[in-house]
Amino acid sequence: MRYSFKLLGRTLALSLFIYGSMPKPEQSQAVAELLYSLGEPKPDHYLKNSSPELIQRGEELITLGKTIGPDGKQSSYISKYYVCTSCHNTVREDPNLTVVDQDARLDYARANAIPYLQGSTFWGIVNRETWYNDDYVLKYGDLVTAAEKSLKASVELCATVCAQGRSLKDWEMESILAYLWSLEMKLSDLDLSENEEKILAGDATPDDEKITLIKSKYLQKSPATFVGPPADKRIGYDHEGNPVLGKAIYELGCQHCHRPNGESELVLDNTDLSLNWLKRHIPDNTQKSIYEIIRKGTYAEYGHQEYMPHYTLEKMSNEQVEHLRAFIENPTAASVN
Amino acid sequence: MKTVSLLLLMFSLSGSLIAQTDYAYETFDDTRIVNGHSIETNQEGILTFIISHRFGTLNLGAYEQFGLDQATMRIGFDYGLTNNLMIGIGRSTFEKTRDGYIKYRFLSQSSGDRNMPVTMTVLGTSAMRTLKRTDGIDLTFTQKMAYTTQLMIARKFGSRLSLQVMPTYLHRNLVEDNEENDVLSLGLAGQYQFLKNWSFSFEYYATPSTYLPDDYYQSIAVGIQIDTKGHVFQLHFGNSRGMTEKFFIAETTQTWTDGGIHFGFNITRDFTIKGRKIR
Repeated sequence: MRYSFKLLGRTLALSLFIYGSMPKPEQSQAVAELLYSLGEPKPDHYLKNSSPELIQRGEELITLGKTIGPDGKQSSYISKYYVCTSCHNTVREDPNLTVVDQDARLDYARANAIPYLQGSTFWGIVNRETWYNDDYVLKYGDLVTAAEKSLKASVELCATVCAQGRSLKDWEMESILAYLWSLEMKLSDLDLSENEEKILAGDATPDDEKITLIKSKYLQKSPATFVGPPADKRIGYDHEGNPVLGKAIYELGCQHCHRPNGESELVLDNTDLSLNWLKRHIPDNTQKSIYEIIRKGTYAEYGHQEYMPHYTLEKMSNEQVEHLRAFIENPTAASVN
Repeated sequence: MKTVSLLLLMFSLSGSLIAQTDYAYETFDDTRIVNGHSIETNQEGILTFIISHRFGTLNLGAYEQFGLDQATMRIGFDYGLTNNLMIGIGRSTFEKTRDGYIKYRFLSQSSGDRNMPVTMTVLGTSAMRTLKRTDGIDLTFTQKMAYTTQLMIARKFGSRLSLQVMPTYLHRNLVEDNEENDVLSLGLAGQYQFLKNWSFSFEYYATPSTYLPDDYYQSIAVGIQIDTKGHVFQLHFGNSRGMTEKFFIAETTQTWTDGGIHFGFNITRDFTIKGRKIR
């Protein structure tokens, strides 16, 4: 009996030793490459060859709107009005990649001084499987059908329609994809538990289950829900606003474009002139109302192509709109707290 | 080694401090105040279409609709070559005048690490009066020309009030016997923003009486501006009818005291012609 316990103990210890010493996946390994190695098909935006030069060109196209092309000449601006980073970040935005959590994203933005924008971040965008999703498809139909399933088509749609710019040349698309691939997710970004790391490293689990496990650690799409302004703008949404959070939304969101020499001609600074103007127009049924402009945006018009895209519910919750209103109506409360 | 480290530290500190410089913006709503220029320049790639009208004087009475029946107008285009350098051309029905200008902002009001109390812009204009003379004499190209050089110094006080002074030198190639070819004048202008996109403005050119023959007066104007972002509407009253420097600085023939006041307006519309560095 005693011998049996000894044997059991040794077997257990050996098993634990073997289990503990099993190779774990490299943390710096690209999520996409791991998926491909497990049998996941490569998407049409997969880029076989990249280079630092290509990535730099792509980064300049994304952040400056132009770059030095392969012919050594300065390219023209993709858009006269915007650059990609007018609406998109290039860094991680969400602490938890598996859920849409606006509050957590705002906290993360505040902690890391990240703009709080309408567009989804380019960080990890190559890992997604669909782009223009949900209500974008419902509202815009054929315009976004191709873009929903293709990152390349999304980039082209963004350049020509969203940014009111021109069509991309092949080398520009390749450069942008190279830069976007440089922002892909690594295994270390997925917050895998030790057990999950071992599952991925071992041979006991079928590949399709490993793929499912990996994909359960991040969203493959950026959900998009279009919502309207509150029924009664004087009352607002049924939430209590926090002026401190509202100030963060104002500064990280609104002022990203509404700054001197920014994308918008309308400068929204922290003076009483701007805040009183916003406050006065809250109940309006025009784009001067924060409810209208946040939920509906504006449209490009002939002779005035500059416009503001709206915030989907996932990019700014109703409660966060009330935070913004609370700051506009009582800016001093944000500094008191 | 210590010296190198100290220099490196100073360099890195200065770099981090430069990033904290805040520049004044929207000192004036537009590149014009009433008749004259403000220190503002178009952003790079922005084309502005300006249409201006000056009507007859209010003292013309009801039959002339208090001056509204007598309109003069100017159509102009301004363009921002860079964020600080702009050019413009225009044509006015007032004495059939063509004009052009170049304007450069070389100093910007700022606070923080880089403290600069004022913004300074220099302006050079030329105007060609093409109205045929009644005495049958054909003027040469040179005789038709007048030139202005102006330094504009402005400061924004808080978020609402901006003031500007404009020492100005005007040269007219051909003048009447009782006029001076060279005129010095000091302009004063201001804007008070009482709402986000509404403001009062005034403009005064203190041209010394020695440069002004009898029946010529100093130019004084007040106005209100509505900035709709895309359009700027400037509605004003002043005693000058001409819309180029030569006329309102040295050839203002009306005076406020007897109702010689012209109602007028400027309407500007911006068009984005080319891209610029946004971020």
